[in-house]
Amino acid sequence: MHAQRELLPETWVDKYSDELYRYTLVRINDTGLAEDIVQETFLSAWRAKENYKAETSEKNWLYAICKNKIIDHFRKQATNIFTGAATEENIYFDEVAHWRDETTPKDWQLNYDLQIETKEFYSVLDLCKKKLPVIQKNVFVMKYFDDMSSDEICKALEITPANYWILIHRGKLHLRRCLEKNWINI
Amino acid sequence: MEKLTEHSEISCQKATFLASKLEEKKASDIEQLQLEQHYKICDGCRLFDIQNVFIGNNARYAMQYTNELLSKVKKEALKKLMKLQK
Repeated sequence: MHAQRELLPETWVDKYSDELYRYTLVRINDTGLAEDIVQETFLSAWRAKENYKAETSEKNWLYAICKNKIIDHFRKQATNIFTGAATEENIYFDEVAHWRDETTPKDWQLNYDLQIETKEFYSVLDLCKKKLPVIQKNVFVMKYFDDMSSDEICKALEITPANYWILIHRGKLHLRRCLEKNWINI
Repeated sequence: MEKLTEHSEISCQKATFLASKLEEKKASDIEQLQLEQHYKICDGCRLFDIQNVFIGNNARYAMQYTNELLSKVKKEALKKLMKLQK
């Protein structure tokens, strides 16, 4: 029986290139690299088109390939992993490991259950994300954008859980503080 | 129980570290108890956790708030490249 859903590679660029590019760009923050990944996605998909199973839509199939390309890139960046110096957290905590006055989280005075629908939040988030050390950023992206569990992230990046917990801890410390300063402005 | 409480005082650095483990159900029972005890006396760490959940809940929509497009030049190049694959 013929697959109900067929691949139409000649339409891919027009139909999917912009959204795959955006998908990649929010995760990688490098336009040249994002372009390369989109290109690689289409080429890999083309080469693998015999393996396409019609249970997935063409679109989801391309997204899955793209996601794998991004993770491959993250994995390369995670080799020779360096979680950073222990002193990296000293800006937040004093000698007895309690919050310093100036970096104690302040109440943002908003409803934390609300979904924020302002572009401003996302441009600040993007700025703060770019400031993170690259491996922390990648871990953040995998956890929050792709809903991956700690086990999945450790496997994908070939890192130990111990390293993962340090990376996510530091990533959260930096990102939260950056948002408080630049988005909430306190 | 008393013994647990006795050992339950953890620092803010430890509490913020454990918050991620608890979120993924990877904290031990003792760690969970330590964290709960800590939150009772520390607004900063409680806010830290709440705000990170908030950031995560909203971050997932980031793609909807970008309007970047792949350049026309790149698209044409891609189309040509795809044709060459045949």
